[in-house]
Amino acid sequence: MSPTLRFCPCLLLAVSWLLRAAAADGLVNEEVKRTVDLSTHLAKISAEILLANQGGSPVQSFTLALEPELGPHLAYVGASVKGEEEEDESLELKETAVHGRSGTFFQVQLPSALAAGGKLRVKVETVLTHVLRPFPSHITQAERQLVVFQGNHYLYSPYPTRSQSTRVRLASKTVESYTKLGNPSKNDEVIEYGPFKDVAPFSQDTMKIHYENNAPFLTISSITRTIEVSHWGNIAVEETIDLRHTGAYLKGPFSRYDYQRQSDSGISSVKSFKTILPASAQDVYYRDEIGNISTSHLQVLEDSVEVEVRPRFPLFGGWKTHYIIGYNLPSYEYLYTLGDQYALKMRLIDHVYDDQVIDHMTVKVILPEGARNVHLDTPYVIDRSPDQLHYTYLDTFGRPVLVATKNNLVEQHIQDMVVHYTFNKILMLQEPLLVVGAFYILFFTVIIYVRLDFSITKDPAAEVRMKVASITEQVLTLVNKRLGLYRQMDEVVNRYKQSRDTGALNSGRKTLEAEHRTLTNDIAALQARLKAEGSDLAEKVGEIQKLDGQVKELVNQSCQESERLVAGKVKKETYITSEKTLAGKRQELISRIDSLLDAL
Amino acid sequence: EPISNNPQQKHSVSAQEKGLGAGGSVSGNGRPNTAAGCGGGGGGLSGGLTQPAGWQSLLSFTILFLAWLAGFSSRLFAVIRFESIIHEFDPWFNYRSTHHLSTNGFYEFLNWFDERAWYPLGRIVGGTVYPGLMVTAGLIHYLLNLLNVTVHIRDVCVFLAPIFSGLTAISTFLLTRELWNQGAGLLAACFIAIVPGYISRSVAGSFDNEGIAIFALQFTYYLWVKSVKTGSVFWTIGCCLSYFYMVSAWGGYVFIINLIPLHVFVLLLMQRYSRRLYIAYSTFYIVGLVLSMQIPFVGFQPIRTSEHMAAAGVFALLQAYAFLQYLKDRLTKQEFQTLFFLGVSLAAGVVFLTVIYLTYTGETAATMATQHHSLAQHMPSLYFSPLPLINPIKPVILNLDTERLFDPVLSAFAVYFAGVMVRLMLTLTPVVCMLSAIAFSSVFEHYLGDDMKRENPPAEDSSDEDDKRNSGNLYDKAGKVRKHVSEQDRPEEGLGPNIKSIVTMLMLMLLMMFAVHCTWVTSNAYSSPSVVLASYNHDGSRNILDDFREAYYWLRQNTDEHARVMSWWDYGYQIAGMANRTTLVDNNTWNNSHIALVGKAMSSNESAAYEIMKSLDVDYVLIIFGGVIGYSGDDINKFLWMVRIAEGEHPKDIRESDYFTPQGEFRVDKAGSPTLLNCLMYKMSYYRFGEMQLDFRTPPGFDRTRNAEIGNKDIRLKHLEEAFTSEHWLVRIYRVKKQENRQALDHKLRNVAAKQKYTSKKTAKRKRGYVKNKLVLKKGKKLNKKSV
Repeated sequence: MSPTLRFCPCLLLAVSWLLRAAAADGLVNEEVKRTVDLSTHLAKISAEILLANQGGSPVQSFTLALEPELGPHLAYVGASVKGEEEEDESLELKETAVHGRSGTFFQVQLPSALAAGGKLRVKVETVLTHVLRPFPSHITQAERQLVVFQGNHYLYSPYPTRSQSTRVRLASKTVESYTKLGNPSKNDEVIEYGPFKDVAPFSQDTMKIHYENNAPFLTISSITRTIEVSHWGNIAVEETIDLRHTGAYLKGPFSRYDYQRQSDSGISSVKSFKTILPASAQDVYYRDEIGNISTSHLQVLEDSVEVEVRPRFPLFGGWKTHYIIGYNLPSYEYLYTLGDQYALKMRLIDHVYDDQVIDHMTVKVILPEGARNVHLDTPYVIDRSPDQLHYTYLDTFGRPVLVATKNNLVEQHIQDMVVHYTFNKILMLQEPLLVVGAFYILFFTVIIYVRLDFSITKDPAAEVRMKVASITEQVLTLVNKRLGLYRQMDEVVNRYKQSRDTGALNSGRKTLEAEHRTLTNDIAALQARLKAEGSDLAEKVGEIQKLDGQVKELVNQSCQESERLVAGKVKKETYITSEKTLAGKRQELISRIDSLLDAL
Repeated sequence: EPISNNPQQKHSVSAQEKGLGAGGSVSGNGRPNTAAGCGGGGGGLSGGLTQPAGWQSLLSFTILFLAWLAGFSSRLFAVIRFESIIHEFDPWFNYRSTHHLSTNGFYEFLNWFDERAWYPLGRIVGGTVYPGLMVTAGLIHYLLNLLNVTVHIRDVCVFLAPIFSGLTAISTFLLTRELWNQGAGLLAACFIAIVPGYISRSVAGSFDNEGIAIFALQFTYYLWVKSVKTGSVFWTIGCCLSYFYMVSAWGGYVFIINLIPLHVFVLLLMQRYSRRLYIAYSTFYIVGLVLSMQIPFVGFQPIRTSEHMAAAGVFALLQAYAFLQYLKDRLTKQEFQTLFFLGVSLAAGVVFLTVIYLTYTGETAATMATQHHSLAQHMPSLYFSPLPLINPIKPVILNLDTERLFDPVLSAFAVYFAGVMVRLMLTLTPVVCMLSAIAFSSVFEHYLGDDMKRENPPAEDSSDEDDKRNSGNLYDKAGKVRKHVSEQDRPEEGLGPNIKSIVTMLMLMLLMMFAVHCTWVTSNAYSSPSVVLASYNHDGSRNILDDFREAYYWLRQNTDEHARVMSWWDYGYQIAGMANRTTLVDNNTWNNSHIALVGKAMSSNESAAYEIMKSLDVDYVLIIFGGVIGYSGDDINKFLWMVRIAEGEHPKDIRESDYFTPQGEFRVDKAGSPTLLNCLMYKMSYYRFGEMQLDFRTPPGFDRTRNAEIGNKDIRLKHLEEAFTSEHWLVRIYRVKKQENRQALDHKLRNVAAKQKYTSKKTAKRKRGYVKNKLVLKKGKKLNKKSV
């Protein structure tokens, strides 16, 4: 591990120097209570250390150490000071190296200097992943899973320890074997070691426990968490998860019958687990490459949304699965703004299952198009990859994507990150304008296309036809108007018959006749144009004109008749009969005109 | 006729005339104006105030849009009830290849050699599919992504068929409008949008060739009618392109390439040859032929197989006819007659020889059809449901004797084909829709529109002007049945308003019931996916049996990437698509002997099967077993097919009669034949099932599908082991055990110096040769130059 190991001659010297250094610190572990929790697939080691400064000067910091064998498995380490009022104050850790010693070391900054002769109670918590090794590594469906834990009986520390006790919590009563240093006591699921007195610094003595552990050995081999921020009020979160059962491999057949009928068959397999989503999560989906996974259930609780994630098939040792879970969040809960400044405060990683282990995580934060001066604040060190661009609905120049990765994460890493960025609010208009513009162009093109003639050949016949058609149309309107005039005339006459007001009749007749004349002239003009176009319709129009003349005559006749009736020159009966014949004739003429019109 | 003179223009003009004509008559008679038909009298009285043409196009636009919408949404049952995935078995292949296309590009797709199918043979996918469907979906996906619309290819595939149903409605509208009139066109569009016969192949999630092919079919017809009408090369080229699309989309293109020649032939018979026809068909045949040969799967079929010979024959006939016409103008009658006689005898001889040749080499449509009959259809045949509708209305069609030939030709042909092959019922559906639309349209015109007609008897004739203008046309313009006023008045005098309203109401009722019926059929018959099974509890809640995907996903995640899965061919596409594993046989049943080998493995006893599986490198065997939940489409029920197909290829090893009881029954219980009870399929299906008691009334090992207690409960497997069984036992996967390792030798193998081989002089020619100055390969660093 450490490069010093390779230089054996230097070792002795270094050790002596180190011991001196430790002595210079003057720190001593007065009393250590270690708890090794092996009840899940993690090893959670917490130690309560009573630090005593026996040196001559105040101490600002102390060093935490981890055995070289366990170093690579370390997922989380945290130290806190046990305050008087039950409130723990977490301390700042910085990874350092100690010359001449292998292992992983952290320098812990104390909140206030520990004066000479002072004592301080510190709580150290470490979580190790993949340290429980299934043994045997392959089991059948009926067998139970046994695992081996290899650790240290003592607290690995650069300081001498006065008194120490270790308590190991196991997953079950069944223990195959365990190291018996100092004659430990075993009580159900708990093994108590110690107390050990006056342990030298960096003492190591292998503690080996072989016991039954059927806790779900689930590991997320990789997770990609994508957070897409929209300024229109939504934050979409999607997690793509590769899940693997890292316990003992399943050997031999998988029998569904046994699995269904015997409760302890496949006891170490994973049927389902719970994922807790934020309370405001909406539109939750749980799917994979081949569609929705229909075996899941969703429960909306007061302070969270619980998804019972059931993979399509139970996960036995060595089996893996892959799924996507996603949901929407309202942005007002996570997005803060002041002018053009925005801050997104969200969990860097969220809960997937209890005691989760994530081997590899990628977080992608997709910010709105136009976000600038992006700055990411993370609660712990995380590797940033180069930013990317993401194009989706209505994007033109792409959305900035922050990409960050980290390996080996556990539940303790569920903490908030903050993304700061600036965004010009005027850019909000870009997308609606884009849509409006697109529709504008579409309609405009249609208008242009419909209005203009794009044919490459000119067809005079068609043009003439269209011209004729338009003239005909005008003729039709005029003729109809003219026919309307006759109706008005009839009305005038009727009124006259009732009121016997010759003046009104004459004036009405005059105006109508004037109108009639203009209409007839117009039609004649149109007829001339038709003739000019060489259309045979002109003749028909001429015919209409002729017929119309007749109609007009008839109308005039009926008018005169009515005058005569009013004047008492004819009897009513004769008037009615003559009116009838006139009307009949008129009807006939009009229908002929109509038929001609329709033929136009 | 010029290009610019499109039908819309003509129609709008005639419509205006109609509207104004109505207005004129109103003023003449002083009767109130009734808006009849499709916006005909919309702008009647005031003339210039509103434009009837505008109303009409708006109305047709709205109706078409609504038809599209209705068609689209009525196909969404499965997606809404379940989810947006490919629901059927077969389309999984289409989806998979579309996915391949969209991820690897077009050329990669065309050259795709799929090593995951037909192990160890593989399949050249690019050359054995109609790529139209995949290319269409891929293109849409590409365009959308170009516009940054990040839609997954799966969603494009799922919704492709419903979207195309709208295009089908529009092309049906265009075609019917060309053949009849606008009103009938709109009705036809509405019919085709919801008709179950078409929906059956185009629901969302069924990503099948037919989904887009019906659109291409209708559109090709439309363009063909258009090109015959105009005789313009422009339309004909359009028709060819549409035909090309059809060829790329579906094997049913044969339908077009036979129908169009038939139409031409009938026209020739009826002495309706014209230059337009000549231009249209000659262009169509040549360009269409060349285009259709561009599809790799079709290749040289259009000039080789008998299905395409009709087109060629009619082409030759048309050329001959045109030539004769030409000669007729040039020669005297006497000369012409001799020439004609000579020509005819020559042609007869050629035809005779061709027929003889074809009978020897050609594959006839009938054999094709019988082949297809043997394939089971997944869909229940409710195809006929729109048919009863048309029957009562047929007399109306017959009464309205017109010269529009395409319609009868089309329908006759479609009926014939549908009779030959059930699957081709699909091509009948649009025809039925069009015919019934025409019928309804005429009925409505008759009973609704008569007010207007009586007031304005020659209203119909207004469009005759068009007719006169295009007097050279083969077809009359829409709705111009020439009738005299007196004739028209007579029968309608008898129709009181009561009869009219009753008939109208009845018709409307019929239409409404049709819509309801269509929706019902769609919802019940065509919208239950076969990938996901659903059962309903007493309280109406739904249980989803997702066993297929459970097992397929297990295969995908927990087996070696190159594992080979043996299963019956029905599940091949799904295993390839969902599990992404290599299969031995699949739904593209091109290699019968390979299928027979799998069938033989399934129907032999375990040790014999093991030999076959070993030779085929099988790692897993997947079977479908419905005995637990009572699923009837499982492998035991299909088992006799496996036996039969295996017997066809291996009659010495497999005999169907062995699997029956002496009484000739196929039984899985104790009375079943021992061969059956010990064959691999039986063993795999019922492995450990004998211990399982499903409920208290039945004995353990009671098969719910076949309602029998199984005969062989003590099943031991030697070469196989259960690898996975889904939750409801629907899918069972067995692992083929590898051969056990031999004991390692504790001594080194003896080193024997190879003897110089003696070669006699007689066989000197066969002795191994050597090369003089043989180049010696020096092992070392490779140069930058890549070796071939």
